[in-house]
Formats: sequence, C-alpha cells, structure tokens
Amino acid sequence: MKYRLNICHLYPDLMDTYGDKGNIITIRQRCAWRNIDTTLTKISVGDKLKTDEFDIFFFGGGQDKAQEIVGKDLKSKKSTLTGSIENGAVLLSICGGYQLLQKYFKTIDGTVIDGIGLFDAYTVGSNTRMIQNLLIEINPDLQKEIDKAYQNTKYKIQNTNLVGFENHSGKTYLGKNLKPLGKVIKGSGNNGEDKTEGAIFKNAFGCYLHGSLLPKNPHFADYLITKALERRFGKISKAFLRIKLKPLDDSIEWQAHQSAIKKML
Amino acid sequence: MDIRLTSAILLGKITSLILKLSGSGATAAPGLFALKIDPNLIKKLSRKIKGGSVIISGTNGKTTTARLTFDILSSKYKIIHNRQGSNLLRGIASTLIQKAPVFGKIDFDLGLWEVDEATLSAAIENLSPKKIVLLNLFRDQLDRYGEVDTVRRNWQKSLSKLPKDTGLVLNTDDPGISFLAKSCKAKTIYFGVNDAQTNLPAIDHVADIKYCLNCNSKLIYKSLFSAHLGHYKCPNCGLGRPTPVIFAKNLNFKTNLTSSALLSIDHKVLTINYSLPGLYNVYNILAASAVSSNFDISPQIIKEKINGFSTAFGRFQKTEIDRKQIITMLIKNPAGANEVIRTLAQKDNLNLLIILNDNIADGRDVSWIWDTQWEVLKDKVKNITVAGIRSWDMATRLKYAKFKLSKNDIYKEISYSIADSIDKLNKNDTLIILPTYTALLEVQKSLSRLGGGKKWHEN
Repeated sequence: MKYRLNICHLYPDLMDTYGDKGNIITIRQRCAWRNIDTTLTKISVGDKLKTDEFDIFFFGGGQDKAQEIVGKDLKSKKSTLTGSIENGAVLLSICGGYQLLQKYFKTIDGTVIDGIGLFDAYTVGSNTRMIQNLLIEINPDLQKEIDKAYQNTKYKIQNTNLVGFENHSGKTYLGKNLKPLGKVIKGSGNNGEDKTEGAIFKNAFGCYLHGSLLPKNPHFADYLITKALERRFGKISKAFLRIKLKPLDDSIEWQAHQSAIKKML
Repeated sequence: MDIRLTSAILLGKITSLILKLSGSGATAAPGLFALKIDPNLIKKLSRKIKGGSVIISGTNGKTTTARLTFDILSSKYKIIHNRQGSNLLRGIASTLIQKAPVFGKIDFDLGLWEVDEATLSAAIENLSPKKIVLLNLFRDQLDRYGEVDTVRRNWQKSLSKLPKDTGLVLNTDDPGISFLAKSCKAKTIYFGVNDAQTNLPAIDHVADIKYCLNCNSKLIYKSLFSAHLGHYKCPNCGLGRPTPVIFAKNLNFKTNLTSSALLSIDHKVLTINYSLPGLYNVYNILAASAVSSNFDISPQIIKEKINGFSTAFGRFQKTEIDRKQIITMLIKNPAGANEVIRTLAQKDNLNLLIILNDNIADGRDVSWIWDTQWEVLKDKVKNITVAGIRSWDMATRLKYAKFKLSKNDIYKEISYSIADSIDKLNKNDTLIILPTYTALLEVQKSLSRLGGGKKWHEN
C-alpha cells in the first residue's frame, strides 16, 4: 500500500519570516526517505480551506503588519481548521502563527487582535523583545509518546529536549487546562515568567522555536509524521513503525542539536 | 578653540596609534572613545567638509556601492570615506579623527559614508547629508534589527524631517524603498533595471513585501528579479514603480562571472563590460552612477571607472595560492545568499566551502539558511565542505537539500577547512568560499597566512 500525507502551509506568502519553511522541507524529506508520498498545498488570504483535506498544517511567524492581514482572513477558516484539529489533524504553529491560534493578542498600545481560540491562551505585547537560543525539556506526557514513535537511541544524546531560537515581544499565558509543550531550561519561552514554553491541544502544537525547529529535532519531526499517519491510516502497530517508519541515520541532525545547546550553556 | 573637541580628537588619535603599533585591525575603537568625550564630534567635524556628505545605506550592497562611488567621485573631488572603518557612528568618527589635524580642520570636498541600516537615523542627524542613497531593504539579522517593517518605519520617520534641498537616490525596483519618497519633501531620483527578465538561473524568491505598503492589497509583478525587486503595481490604489532616470538594460551575466549591460544616464546610453557577477551588482553600479552623475561626473568617466572596478573586501574577492584560484563571496542573509547561489549556478563542477558562524555580527539566529535555496546548487557541485561554529546546522541544511556530504566534510575549525579544501584542488581549479561576516575575517587571516593577499584592514 502506498502511503501519502497531505500537508497544508498556511499563509506562506505572509508568515514566512524566520526560515520556518525548513520545517516543511524536513517533514517532506523524512517521509520521502521512507517512501511515503507527500503533497504540499499553500493556502493564503481568500483561499478556501476544505474539511479534512489535510493531515498536517504548518503555520509560521510573520511581521506584525502581515499578522494583521492574516488575522482578518483566518476568521473565515476558523471552523474548518478547528474541526480538522478536533478530528486529529496535526498542526505545528510557530511564533506569529501560534499567537493567532490563541484567544487574542493585546498589543502594547492596548489594541486587541482576535485570534481563533484553538489554544486556550492569550498574548500580551511587551517592551522587551525575547531574543535568544531557547532550550526546553519536553512535557513528560508527550515525551512518552515521542519515545514510542522515535526509538533510535544509538546517538547517546539525550532526546528529551527541543532546541531553537526565539524572537518575540509578545508574552503568552496559558489557560488552566492547556498543557505546555515543555519546560524552559534556557531562554524565555511563553512569557519569561512561568517557565512554560508552547502549548499542546490534541495534535496541535504551538511554540516560539525557530531555527528551523524540526531539522535539528528529528524526534519531534518523526512524532508529527507518526501522528499524521495514524490519523489517516488508523492505529499504528510497533511492527509498522519498525518497517515503515524505519529509523534514519540522524547523526548530523543530532550534532546540530548539540551544537545549538553548547552555544547556550 | 573647542577644548572638548580637541581632547576627543587627541584621545582618538592616541588610541589609533596604539592600535596601529599593536598590529590590530580594530577600526571603531578610536571613534568610540572620542564620542564619549565629545558626542557632537561628528556634527562639528563633518560640517567642515566643503561639499557636504553623501550617505549610502541598505541591507545589501553598501560596501561595494560606496567603494565604486568613491572610485568615480575621486576623479574630480577629494573624498573622505569610511573605507576601512565600521559603518556605525563610531566608524564615521574614527575616519574623521584619522583625517583631521588636532585642531579639527578638515580639507575635503565631499564626505562619503557607508551607514548601517539601524544607524541611518542617527547618521542623518549627525551628518546633515546632501544626498542619501537607499539600495534595498531585506530581512537580515532579525535578532539585531527586529522586523524589516520596523527598520523601514524608523527610516520613514527620519526622512520625513529632511529639508527639501536634500537629494534622495532610491532603488525604484524595491517597493519598500520607492515608497519612502511619499512621506518626504526631498528631491528624489530613481534608479532601476528596465529589462523584463534576466538570464540568471531561476530561484524561488523570498520576498519581504508582497502586499502594498499603502493599502495592503496584493501587489502584481510584471517582472520579478530577486526577492521583492521588480516591476510591481498595486491593483487597488495604483501605487507603482516610478520611472527611473538612471537605468540598466540588456543585462548579460556570463559564465566566467563577468557581465555586460547598457547603462542609461540622463538619456545617454553607454555599454559597460565589467568584472562583477550577479544582479545585485547591477544595482550597486546603478546607485553609484546615479550619485556620481549628480555631482557632475561625465558618463564617459563613470563608464571607465565601472569597467576598471575590482571588488570590495570579501565581496567576490579573488586570491591565488599555488596556482589555485580562491574566490570569496560574503553571505549574510537570504536575499544576498540567494543571489550568490544563482550566480554560482551558472557554473558546473564547483568546489564550495560554506562557513556558518553565529556571532553577534553574523546574526545569532541561523534560521535564515532555511530561507536560502541551496537546492539550486545540488547538481553543480564537485566538492562541498562546511565549517564554522554552526557547521552542523549547515550540514543539516545541505543534507535536506539532498547534497552528498560525509562527516569528513564537516569542520569546526575554519583554518583547517580552508587548508584542506585548497589541498584537495587540482592545479588551475577554483575554490569558492562562502563565509558569514565574522567567518570572513578568519578567512582573510587564513588566506594571508597561506600566502594569498594582504591583511583585510590594509585593503
């Protein structure tokens, strides 16, 4: 059986400031190395989003002005997008994309920009820009799931972290029941105060990790691919993982992961 | 006598002497110290330049444009220029101190200043320039500059205060640059490329502007040359590309990395044949020609100087070691790196060494390598090596662009990577080194140790 995943890049013409397309390149390439086909569709202002067409959504960061334009258009896609996530679709959102999926963004001068409320969280503009390498320890519940999807331990490198680069002035606060993606080890994360970074809602993830994130965090990349396959083709067995999602040689990726961490400590 | 100014100059000169004796290439320190004593030093000294000052700024091409402009204007004027210096205020101050006697007499016709994007407003305030050249604005070191829109807003604010006898020289093909004329009284002239397309290999452009800065509608491009540079128009409010008085057409980029074009200056058309590659250098040439013709240099002289120009430090710089050619081309942001990649894609069997550092001057965020389309070079490369502090990130980028790379091709130490890459070359082969900014400084040191060329600050 030939496996195929449909990927949707949301607003690539407006939200593509920080090299985040590396995440899409990584997902597609890691699929291709396992003979899994992928399609990539770009959806932007004015385009129609159909229900359940996509297995993976990607939503990157942009400039404030672009974020305004996108914020307006996103309202028309709200029900389809939240419906897809309720049905288990995978979504990775970073920085500006992550903010627009929350309840609202209050800018420094008090203007409130509505989000679509997929994440029970909100962001408040601040005067300090949080710009640095960011290292987090993955949420333990998620880590257990990642360990099932990514079983390669031959690198002797701790695979319980994510590393990237943050560049934001908005401070994000999570609602009581929303799980963070991880705990900040080094850097600011969501708000620089409560040590949380990012958010998890079903298979939707938000975070401030540029870098690009997925190339040098291959365990998280493979986890997202696994979740997308599961949704499309049903519960995945261990044998399937071993055969279909066979481990790749990720030594270069893990070296990149390590060299980013080394720069911080 | 202005005691504050005199002591500032004196301190600057002493610092400079000490640095020289210790063999250091640091060019900003004298200005940095002197400005602490007299913060108005630049204002006071630059006022004495007879014909006033010209400022050149933009994300890409500042150094090359400034050097070419210097070459052309020097045919008629005595120019003071921050050639070796940094392009921040301290670098401008250093240059002024170096050229001023202790009592602050300045004997120059014109000041020519390359200015960092984030320093433009302060430079305008200190130099009260006669002319300002703005080349382009692209995403670059977002960890330092913040958003491109923020930089542009700051520019807009300070340009709106210019008196109306200031001359603005703007790139008409960058909608984010031509837009700046709207909010200011200064006299504006435009330069641009009038061809409908170029003969360079295609690349996926990373544009920072896709929507009209005036009304947020999607811009329509009749021609798109590079990033967001091209022939654009807003279908909604009608904002479009102003007609340039200085333009180039019939661009021809040759595989030996030389170029030719027709250059039109005030209705006079000249054929230029010059030894610089790539589209980005066409814009540098246009900007330099526009300024020079405004200072009454004849088209004939401009043409001669363009044809005879050899490049600035690290920007297509050629060196020879053991009958092997080494070409160094600085890369520092997606727009610039994509143009370098496109230029190199004209050739086959490339021997490449890419060096990625993440120091403050490089940008600490290396995400930009994912906005750069290395894929275009995959089938054009014979040998490829990576080095630098973030060599593993670069290696990962190349792996996902499907280059074949072994661990032996990945170096941390820049000097080893250079020595080994040169070693591997056959006689008469060429090594192309693509370093980020702080890596470039190390490349220059390594090359001069191996016997190729001068130290960079003596250039």
